[in-house]
Order: sequence, then C-alpha cells, then structure tokens
Amino acid sequence: MDKTEDIEIRLLLEAIFREYHYDFRGYSMASLKRRLSQARAHFSCTTFSQLQDRVLHDPATLPQMLAFLTVQVSEVFRDPSYFKAFREKVVPHLRTYPSLKVWIAGCSAGEELYSFAIMFREEGLESRTQFYATDINPDALKKAEAGVYGLDRIRLFTENHQKSGGKSSLSDYYTAAYGAASFDKSLRQRTVFSDHSLVTDSVFAEVQVISCRNVLIYFDRNLQDRAIGLFRDSLSRQGFLGLGSKESLRFSTHADSFADFARDEKIYQKRSGV
Amino acid sequence: MPASVAAAPTNASRQVKSDFVVSIGLMAVVLFFIGSGVLSYANTKALLDGNQQVAHTHEVLAGVSDLLSLVKDAETGQRGYVLTGDAKYLAPYENAVARIGESIGDVERLTADNPDHQARMGELRSNIAAKLAELKETVELRRDKGFEAAETVVLSDRGKGYMDALRGVVEDMKREEGAIRQQRIEEMQASYRSTVVSGGITCLLGVLLSALVAYLVRRASFARARQDWLQSGQVGLSMTMAGDLRLEQLGENILKFLTKYTDAHAGAFFVRDGSDYRRIAAFGLPDNSGTPERFTLGNGLLGAAAKDARTIVINDVPEGYLAAGSGLGKGTPRHLIISPAASEGLVNGILELGYIHPLDGYVTELLENISETISIAIRSANYRANLQDFLEETQRQAEELQAQSEELRVSNEELEEQSRALKDSQGRLEQQQAELEQTNSQLEEQTQQLEIQRDDLAGAKALVDFKAKELEQASRYKSDFLANMSHELRTPLNSSLILAKLLADNPDRNLTAEQVKYALTIQAAGNDLLALINDILDLSKIEAGHMEIRPETVPLSRLVGDLTRMFEPIAQQKGLKFENNIGAGCPGTIDTDRQRLEQVLKNLLSNAFKFTEQGGVTFAISKRADGRIALSVADTGIGVSKEQQKAIFDAFRQADGTISRKYGGTGLGLSISREFARLLGGAIELESEPGKGSTFTLVLPETYDENAVAKPVFNLAPELPADALEPAAPVKPRSGKIKWVEDDRERLTASSHTMLVVEDDEGFARILYDLAHELNFQCIISNTAEEALALAKQYLPSAVVLDVGLPDNSGLSVLDRLKRNPRTRHIPVHVVSGGDYAQKALSLGAIGYMLKPVKREELVDVLKKLESRLDKHLRRVLIVEDDAVQRDSVGKLLGTANVQAVGVGTAAECLERLKTETFDCMVLDLSLPDASGYSLLETLSREDAYSFPPVIVYTGRELSSEEEHRLRRYSKSIIIKGAKSPERLLDEVTLFLHQVVSDLPDAQQRMLEQARNRDAVLEGRRILVVEDDVSNVYALTNILEPEGAVVHIARNGREALTALAAMKEKGEPIDLVLMDVMMPEMDGLTATREIRRMPELKKLPVIMLTAKAMKDDQERCLDAGANDYMAKPLDVEKLLSLVRVWMPR
Repeated sequence: MDKTEDIEIRLLLEAIFREYHYDFRGYSMASLKRRLSQARAHFSCTTFSQLQDRVLHDPATLPQMLAFLTVQVSEVFRDPSYFKAFREKVVPHLRTYPSLKVWIAGCSAGEELYSFAIMFREEGLESRTQFYATDINPDALKKAEAGVYGLDRIRLFTENHQKSGGKSSLSDYYTAAYGAASFDKSLRQRTVFSDHSLVTDSVFAEVQVISCRNVLIYFDRNLQDRAIGLFRDSLSRQGFLGLGSKESLRFSTHADSFADFARDEKIYQKRSGV
Repeated sequence: MPASVAAAPTNASRQVKSDFVVSIGLMAVVLFFIGSGVLSYANTKALLDGNQQVAHTHEVLAGVSDLLSLVKDAETGQRGYVLTGDAKYLAPYENAVARIGESIGDVERLTADNPDHQARMGELRSNIAAKLAELKETVELRRDKGFEAAETVVLSDRGKGYMDALRGVVEDMKREEGAIRQQRIEEMQASYRSTVVSGGITCLLGVLLSALVAYLVRRASFARARQDWLQSGQVGLSMTMAGDLRLEQLGENILKFLTKYTDAHAGAFFVRDGSDYRRIAAFGLPDNSGTPERFTLGNGLLGAAAKDARTIVINDVPEGYLAAGSGLGKGTPRHLIISPAASEGLVNGILELGYIHPLDGYVTELLENISETISIAIRSANYRANLQDFLEETQRQAEELQAQSEELRVSNEELEEQSRALKDSQGRLEQQQAELEQTNSQLEEQTQQLEIQRDDLAGAKALVDFKAKELEQASRYKSDFLANMSHELRTPLNSSLILAKLLADNPDRNLTAEQVKYALTIQAAGNDLLALINDILDLSKIEAGHMEIRPETVPLSRLVGDLTRMFEPIAQQKGLKFENNIGAGCPGTIDTDRQRLEQVLKNLLSNAFKFTEQGGVTFAISKRADGRIALSVADTGIGVSKEQQKAIFDAFRQADGTISRKYGGTGLGLSISREFARLLGGAIELESEPGKGSTFTLVLPETYDENAVAKPVFNLAPELPADALEPAAPVKPRSGKIKWVEDDRERLTASSHTMLVVEDDEGFARILYDLAHELNFQCIISNTAEEALALAKQYLPSAVVLDVGLPDNSGLSVLDRLKRNPRTRHIPVHVVSGGDYAQKALSLGAIGYMLKPVKREELVDVLKKLESRLDKHLRRVLIVEDDAVQRDSVGKLLGTANVQAVGVGTAAECLERLKTETFDCMVLDLSLPDASGYSLLETLSREDAYSFPPVIVYTGRELSSEEEHRLRRYSKSIIIKGAKSPERLLDEVTLFLHQVVSDLPDAQQRMLEQARNRDAVLEGRRILVVEDDVSNVYALTNILEPEGAVVHIARNGREALTALAAMKEKGEPIDLVLMDVMMPEMDGLTATREIRRMPELKKLPVIMLTAKAMKDDQERCLDAGANDYMAKPLDVEKLLSLVRVWMPR
C-alpha cells in the first residue's frame, strides 16, 4: 500500500511539474506525504491519483495545492537571537559596502523581510540596501507585498523585536486598525518581490546577504545542495548566509565554500577565493 | 614456492638478552686481564727473587774466597819472614791477621740463613785459628830462635794440614753455593719460560676475546638499528594515521607510507566489510590489473591470511602465478607479503605488498608490529564513519522535526482561520444572494455585447479576405516584374557574351594570352549570370503561375539515351562510373512534359557529378507499387546531413554556405526542380547520409493529370529556420587522441616553463619545438583547435604559440576560448599566421602577432619576450591616500615579501608614478588635495600615457548610488572605511594580486586594439541596459562598449521609460533595449508592456534577461512584448549575436 502511495505521490509531483512547472520532486518525502495527505482530505479524494486528476484538469486547484505543499509560517524577528547576532556581528561588516543587496529566499508572507527592513533601518543601512524577497507561492508573495498581519500576532512580534536588540519601538512601523496591523509601506519601498524557485531557477543578482530560514528542511539532500550552490554563486566574496536553527551546511557538498561566522545562529560567511 | 610462517619473540626480550650477552663477554675480558696481570706479577717477582739469591751466592763465594786469600796472604808473609828474617816481609802477614777477623764475621753474616754453612763455620773458624796460631808460632820462633826452630815447625807440616783442612771447608762451601746458584738459575729459567708462555697465551686469548666482544657489540648495534627502523616505521605510520581520517584516506595513507618505507613496488589494502574484505586503497596497480575489489574469508591467499590471522610471505612468485588468486594481478613483483591487521582476535584489514627485490625479515616484523595499530585505526575510522552517519541522521531528524513543527504551526493557524471564516461565511452568504441578482443583469448585458462583437468579427473577416487578395496580386506583380526584368537583363548580357566570345577567339591574333584569359573569364562569368537569370525567371514564372505544362509521350529508353550521351563525357573527365538501368515492369513510355522532366533530371545529374569526387553515379528508373514511376539519381558524393535536407530545396540555399565557393552554382536548381516536379504532379524525394552519398528520386505519375497538381509551397524569401543562427557543429578534430608529432608531454617537469605550440604545419611545428628547447622551454605540440584547448586546460602551459589556420576550427576561436576561461586566461598567447588577423587577434587578447613567413630571429625574440614575462614575480600596489598616517598603515597592512606597497599623497604624484611605472593594483582614496578621485580615474581611463591598474576604492564617506555607478566603471571593488574595512581591503587586494588578470596585456593597449576592431553593426548604436545589479551592468557595459555601442543605463523599468522618452526628445533615440526581469520599482515585464503600449516604440527591439529557467517564464517575456530573451548567467557570444540579430539595420 505504502509503495503504491509512493508511486502515486511521485506521479502527482511529476504531473504538477510538467503542467505547472512547480518542481516539488526533490522535496523530502516524509513531509510531502503528510502535507499531501492533508490535501487529499481537503479535496475529498480517496487516492493521490484522484488528486492528480483533479490538479491536472482543474487549474484552479493549483493555488490551494501550493498552499498545502509550501509551508508558510513565520514571525517577525523569529528567533530573536538570530537577529541579535546579525545586528552585532554582521552589520559592522556590511557597513564597509557602498551599496548592499539582501535576498530573503523563501520569504513566505514577508515576516522575515520586514524584520530585516526594520533592522537595517535601525542600523542606518536601509538607504543603501536593495532587498529581494522571493518565494514560489504567488499567494504568499501577494501577502508579503501587502504586509498585513493579524493584530493578535503583533504582541509576539513586539516581544521578538525587543529581544533582538531593537533600537526603537515596533509600533513605529505599523498602523493597527480593524483587527489587523499593516506594516509601513516605506519598509518595502526598496524591495523587489519576485517569484523565484530554488529548485529550477538560477542566480539573478550578486548579493551580500542571503537569509533562507526553514526552507531547506523541506528539501532532500540533492536539492539542499543545489540551493546552497545557488546561494554560493549569488553571494559576493565574504557575503553572509543565514539558515534556520535546525539547518546546517555541515553535510553539504558546498560546506567548504563557507566558514562558520556565528555558529549557534547558523550564520555563515562565504570564503574569499571561492 | 617456499612459504614460511614467521614467528619471533618480542623485540624487547631479544634486546635485553643481547645486551646481557655483551655484558657477560665484557666481564670475561676484564677478569681475564686481571688474571693474566696477577700471573705475570708472580713470574716477575720470582725472577727478581732468584736474581737476588744468585747475587747473594756470589757474595758468599766472594767472602769465602776473600777469607781464603787472607789466610794465604798471612802464610805468604810468614814464609817470607821465616826465610829471610827480614821484618819487612811481615807486613802482608800482619795486614791479613788484622782483617781476617772481620772477614770471618762477613762470611758468617752472609751464611746466617744456611744452617749447613753455619755448621761448617765452626770448623772453618777453628781451622783458621789453628793456622793463624801455627803462623804466629813460626814467626815468633824465627824472631826469637832463628831459622832452624821455625823451619822445624814449618817442616812438621802442621800448618799444611790446617791449610788443607781450611781449603777443604772452603771448597765445600763453594761447591754448595755453586749448587745453590745452579738451582736458582734453573728456577729462574723456569720462571722466565712460564712468563713467555703465559704472555703468549694472554695475547692470544686477548685477541680472541676482543674479537668475541667486537662481534657481540656489532650484533647488538645491528639489533638496535633494526629496532630503530622498526620503531621509526611505527612512529611514521602513527603519524600518517593521525587525525580524523576517512577510511579510504586512512588506507591510502597507510599504503603510501608502507610502500615508501619498505620500498614496495605495488600494494593493495583491504578492510573488513561485513564478512567480506573490500579493497580501499591500491598502489602501483594499473586499472586493468584484475586485482579483486573484494574477497571472502578463506578464499585465496588473501582469504587464508584473513582467516588465520597470519602473515604469508611468498618469495620468487613465478611468472603467471598471480592469476591464481592474489590481489596483485598482473604486476611484475616477484615477492609478496600478505599481512593481516588484527586486534582482539579480529582481522580488520589485510595488507598486500609486492616487491621486486627479495624480502628481508625486517618488513615481516614491521608488518607484524603494526598489525594491531592499523587494525585499531581501521576500527576508529569505522567508528568515526558511523558517528558521522549518526550525526547526519540526527541532522535529518532535527530537520524533520522542525518541518513537522512548522506544519503544526500552519495547521494551528488554519484552524483559527477556519473558525473565523465560519463566522464570516454567514454574512457572506447573504451578500452573495445580492451579488447573484446583480450578476444576472450583467449577464444580459454581456449577451448584447457578444452580439456586437460577432458583427465586428464578420467585418474584420471581410477585410482580411480583401487584404489576402491584395497580397496575392502584389506577389503576382512582383513575379511579373521579375520576369520582365530578367528579359531586360538578358538582352545586354547576350551581346556582352557574344563580344567576349569573339575576343576570346582572338581571330586577329592581336591579343596576348593574358587578355584572352580575361575574355574567357568574362564569358564564363556572363554564362553564370545568365544561368542565374534563367533560374530566377523560372522560379518567378512558377510562382506567378505562368509556367505551362505541355504533356507528350516520352519514351523512357530515349530519355535515358539522351541523358547518357550528355553526362558520359563529364563522367569520364572526372573519372567516375556512370550507370543507368530501366527496371523490369516499367512502361515503355510515360506521359508528361518532356522538357521539364529533362530539366529536372539534368539538374539532379549535374548536381550528382558536381558533388561526387570518387565512385560513381547511377541513374535508375523503376515502377513503384502505387503505379508511379520513380526516376532516381544516386551518387557516392559528400551527401547531405539530416538537418540540411529540408534547407537545400529552399531558394538560394545550399547544404553549407561554403559549398558554393567550392562547387559553384546558384543554389536555385533544386528549388526549381522541386517546383517542376510538383507541376508535373510528382515530387522529389531525398535519401542521404553525409559522406556516403545521396539519392534524389523524382516520382511522377505515369500519365500527367492537371488536377493532381499540388499547390505551390515555396516562396522566394524563405523564413529563416530557428536554428539558422546557431553555428554549425564543429568538426571533430581529425587526430583525436593520437599524438601528431613527438613532444614533451610525457616527460614534463616543473623545473622549466612549458610552451604549447598549436600549429598544423609539421615542419614549422618542428622548428618551434627545437627553438623552444634551445630557450629552455618544454614544448607540447597540437595540430587541432580542440586538442589545443584540452591540452591548455590539462597542462596550463606558461605560454602558447598559436597558428590561426587550423583544420577543425579557427585559431582565433582557440584564443577567444582560452581568454574566456578563467583558468587559462592569464596564459600569454602569441599568434602566428599566414593571413593578416592581427587586429582581431590582439583585440582578443593575444600579446603579439607575426605574419608568416617568420624569420628565426623574430621567433627567438618573441620567445625571449614570453620568457621575461614569466619571470615577473614581485607585485606592486600603489596607495593613493592624502593622510600620511593612513597611507603608512595601509602600506604596512598590504606590504609583504612579494608585495611592494608604494604610497603617494596627491593625484599629481599618482599620475607621475603611473606615467613611468606599472602597478598590479591601486588602492584609491576619493578625497585628494589636488583633484577628486573621480577626475583622477577619468584621466587615467582617457589618456593613454598612463598605465591603468585595477582599482580598489577605499573611502571614508558613504556614496550615493549615482556615485557608486560612476565608480564602478573603473573599479571593481569599493570599500567604505569602518571597523571591519582593513580585513576586507586586505582580502580584496590579495585577490587582485593573485588573480592572474594582472598578467594580461596592458588594458590600455587592448582598448586601443579593440577600438580599431569594432563591429560595424553596433558602432555608434545606442543600447539601453535596464538592470539593477551593478556588477551585471558593469559586465554588460564591458561587453557592448568595446563593440562600439553607446550604452545607457537605467536601474529599473520606470527609469527605462524616462530614459527612452528623454533620448527620443534629444533626437538620439535608443536602438535596442536589454531588459532585466527582476528589478525594484517597476519590473521588466511591466516596463516592456508599457513600451509596447506606446505606438512609436512598438518596433523597438527589447531583449529580456531572465534568471528563470522554465519555458513558460520565457514565454511570459515574449507575451509581454519582448522580441527575445536570454537566460542568465549570460553567455557573451550569445548575447552579442542576439544583439546583432535584433539591432535594426
């Protein structure tokens, strides 16, 4: 039974790739299986093959499928220690660049982007920085571009911001009304939101900072290697790469291209001469 | 094949034992010498004693003789006195009497130790006393009573009796002393002999013992050397095994060390992998040695060694034995040792070493000693690998857990969302009701709109029909024009042909041979032109529908006969076979237009002969199953590739653009033939394989039927197929891996520079080879472009000498690709060629150019120049900084043994320096007292007088993005001073200096050369680069500007639109746009749409640059209105060709 399901899942992923060019074939199987099972229940299908039929013949299901397949969850200043380390250790290096580019890969609904934008504004780097926020899910990108979050989440965001060494009040950056908080438009003025896939697409700019947290956990080893290779090629010499707390470069084939910079916070620096 | 199992006591005990033997030996020597010393002392003492005693005996004898002579003296004195009565004769007597007492005392003292003498002393004494008394009596008698009285006493012989008794005693004593002396002397003699003998023996024994000890010491030192060898082997091995090595690395290290340490010639190392053993390292084994990758326990010798955990030594392995199951395959080693590495009874690894020389016990012992160490190291490596696996597993699990927790968060949020949504849906349902009603009314509205649209469509269709008719007419006008035109052309051409012929005939014999040749050339050219005009006319006739078909009965045999007659001479002239045959079942005649049929067949046949160099041409007629007649022309010529088969039927096309040069012809023949075939109700089929030949088959119906004729399919200007821009696939290098001439590639050493010579003229290559050797270069020679590139990448030569004319690809392409590859671009390339490509070569980065024929001195000069270039080592950095302290500190930061930092404080000084010296890199502060950094950079880039090294801008102030853009033109790296800036500066400078870019020819010179070699298509054209990434802008500018294009830059879509409008207003409209997709403010897709919305920009070529890989992403670019797209990373050649293609003429 399990074997059949595996086959069905692979066929389903192949179908999505061929038809819509979303490539989930290199995602880690265990996680995919759970999420597709949810999708199967949601669409009231009994088998993955039925799900495949549905996705292929009804393009409108795709956005919903994408929502199941991509896990979109984050916080503003999530893991405050990460941002604290960034502020204290990485920012002094960034000050030596006349202009900066920061790539938030897998930006989801934009929480990470706004965190960086606020931090860079506080550190006086914003005016020379260009942000790129990319994701494969167009809905998530729309949300990111809108920058509107439930008011109930703001308290957590504020706490995180304080813990990350925030130099101002988070309330300076949003307006609350009707049960939601909308982040200041000027924060995304220097941001390009774009659909970019770590699975199929290539380098689009030379950047000094890449933050890609809790994205690699959904990839299998080969795909992780591809993504990290892409990061390596995108980073300028001595550029910085930030990963999620449970992610590591240690087993990657590109591990030699990076040096530990803030080990506990999973911040790496690209070695010069690579 | 003697096999022995070595077993030895441990070294430590052996060592102790050997030391003990040496000590015992030394002790024996010492004892021996003490003994022999004592003995000789005793002997000497005995001799000394004997000597003393002999002397004593002499003294006794002398004493006794003395005594006797004193008595005699007394007697002599007495006799004289008695005879003469003269008192003066009494002196000896009185003298003797006075001394006799003393003499007796002496003798008595000397003989005190001898009781025999002592006993005789009484007799002696009494005899002497009696004699003296007799003498005294006679003396007194003579004095008192005269001679006669004395005479009586004397004559009584009493005195004589005393004297005789005395003599007897003395004689006795003398004899005894003599006997004693004799005895002593004999004793001494014995003692002397024993001394000599013992000396001899001592000497002999001493020599023997010393030899013994020397032997023992030597043995001990050998043992120690062996011990040292074993120990340093073990230590060395431990060192090679140190660190966290992977199993394969460990095996490699162990094997490398052991083969080196024990002079083995081959080796293999196996480790336990479950129940099998797996090879993880090999040394000196060829790939095809047949050495097993695995073996099982007990299988073969290796298996046996593993099973019993014992060392196996095999000496004098016979030839051919190795196939019998050893790990060393087909190698030549004659002696093998197979040693297990075991610990705790477990054989973790097996080492197999092969030797050409016989083995000594050392190696065996070493291997046994290290067995456990290696085994433990293997075990640790395995543990480490396991640990690594576990760690990785843990990492995977952690990621999985994180993924799960992320998913849980999502579910949680969804649940909350859903409960909110449920509340909302109630309200929404009500709202929907209202919306539905509204939709209804909208639908009605839409129906009406649809009706209107339908009417519009009908109108549009009518318009389209009308346009189509117009088009048809226009095409007809064109064809008519062509037909008329051809006629008009033919008339004057005819007269010139006739006149040329007249001239060529030279009836008056007044033209020179040269002039006749000219006339013939005019005639030939005219004929070619005529043929072309005829072809064009035919084509235009067909297209205009003017071609009439006049069917008649054509006997096939006559057709064949006519064609044979016509082509036989050509066949003979070219030495080709020409065969023809009419297949069985063919009708005798066919019904068709004979003139057109012949025209087609002639064309096919003349093509066949034209493209065939050897073999032959076959013309065959057969009847097909469907009743149609197939007339085929088969040749054994160059053939046509699959890709080209369609193209050759197109007007003005031939299989390869270069063919017309070689074979002539207009390329219209096949197009016309195809059209004729179509008009005759048939078709032309082609079967061909490049290099093997082609078969063109004209298929016709037996009887011409006007209604069966297909519609025309061609058109005078065929659309270019999509792949027409692709360059033809390069020809495979003809020599492949086969080396062409002898060179040094197999014996390269690091000691001298290597030069790659790319040259297909063997003689010249040989000259260069010798010359290179003369100048102490090593030389590799290649005769094809592909091989040259492969060799350059493999050997990274110090210099390349490159010929332009190569068989497979132009040398310039080699140069270009060498310069394009970061690994090879530093290699100086000198181009030698028969044709003048100097500008092109220099612009591609060659350091020099020579036109063949080349003089030897010139070559020597060039090679010497190359050599001096290679010896440049010291790197120089120019620091331009107005603050003296900072200048100094930066200088100290950067200066090393290989890097010389030169500091200047003003722009003027900087220019002065750059005028006279060259630097590898320049660190520039923007604020200088006499000029700004910008103007300095601009001066440097503008004026040729200064060398312009790569620049790193090092500045204290922040830069606006405009400033940064301006700087990026000249400087690849900009650093803002701050806490972390020194690190970055050092890093960047180091990178610059180690980048071999500085070995490239002078940038100045290159720019000049490039300026002369600009692409006319792009010269002066304005290209707008819309791109936000500074490094990309820089790269694109660097590609386009050397081609003569004027590059304008916009950093996003909005700026692009503004720039387009502004340039238009200035009267300098943009000719082409390169548009990035991902940009801030306005992305490339939107900007392109905006551009297309403006009527005056509808035709502006826009090429999009995208990082997306999927086809539909690229389709989106085209949908947005882009003319073309290109995926990043950008390929320079492709980009340039795209720009050239789209650039409006």
